[in-house]
Amino acid sequence: MEKEEMVKKLTPIFRNVFGDETLEVTDELSALNVASWDSLSHMLLITEVENQFTIKFKLKDLNKMKNVGDMMAMINSKL
Amino acid sequence: MSDYLIRKATTKDIPFLATAIIAAEKGRSDKLSFSTLFNISEEKARILIIKMLEEEIDGCELSVSSFLVADFNDEPIAAFGTWIEGFEDNMPSKILKSNLILKTFDKESIEYFITKASIIKDILIEREPLTLQLEYIYIEEKHMGKGLDNEFILKSEQNALKILPSLTKIQGQLYKNNIFAIITLRKKNFNIAKSCKAANPEIFEYLPFNEKLLMEKYF
Repeated sequence: MEKEEMVKKLTPIFRNVFGDETLEVTDELSALNVASWDSLSHMLLITEVENQFTIKFKLKDLNKMKNVGDMMAMINSKL
Repeated sequence: MSDYLIRKATTKDIPFLATAIIAAEKGRSDKLSFSTLFNISEEKARILIIKMLEEEIDGCELSVSSFLVADFNDEPIAAFGTWIEGFEDNMPSKILKSNLILKTFDKESIEYFITKASIIKDILIEREPLTLQLEYIYIEEKHMGKGLDNEFILKSEQNALKILPSLTKIQGQLYKNNIFAIITLRKKNFNIAKSCKAANPEIFEYLPFNEKLLMEKYF
């Protein structure tokens, strides 16, 4: 999937999970720079991403995803 | 103290660590969040806690490497869980723990948990990067009052300073009704740095108390 298309698909998920309609999905986005990215929103985010892309992450996949750039690469590897 | 041997936990200790985690999570209540928030029995929660420990993911409260264990007559009788938050580019422990839960608990349990998230959101306290985080203290009742808590804190600090000499602070999060632990930490010069309270009284159905304290001490 092209990056632009993926960002377009991820943006409403992120905005909904973090309750921020202005949130821009970038490679650098992570739990370290989004204040509302807590343990609960993280679980919701991963669940929503898996559902929307019809994929399943493994634990080792999740623990490699340090930011959204890593997440997008991981999603692509599973499509 | 000479009757006790304090050592790093190994994978052989996992069943005991699960017992310690369950007892510490419940405090003096009957509410185990791994059970109540996921709509599963305590027995099932214990099996899943063991599974998460077996993954051997370092850097959070469910890491075998976070624990020290005290043996008495060659049997584990106490455990103490600490780790350095975000050390060596580790992800935040909240993410590591969430990932473990996501990939260990059933889909139904995760969905149930998500419906309860708003109830507990008020009492989530951020963990400060590069601080020593104290999460679990468990000492079997008959071994309380023997100075094990002191030894655990001292050894954890010493071990952490060996790998991160610039470390300056230890923090622990406790429920406000856990008076015994609060008094214990106060005696060790911990101060209350923050408190937060859940607005929704329904929280009492899921967690030991509706208010949490962040206690901390500078080395």
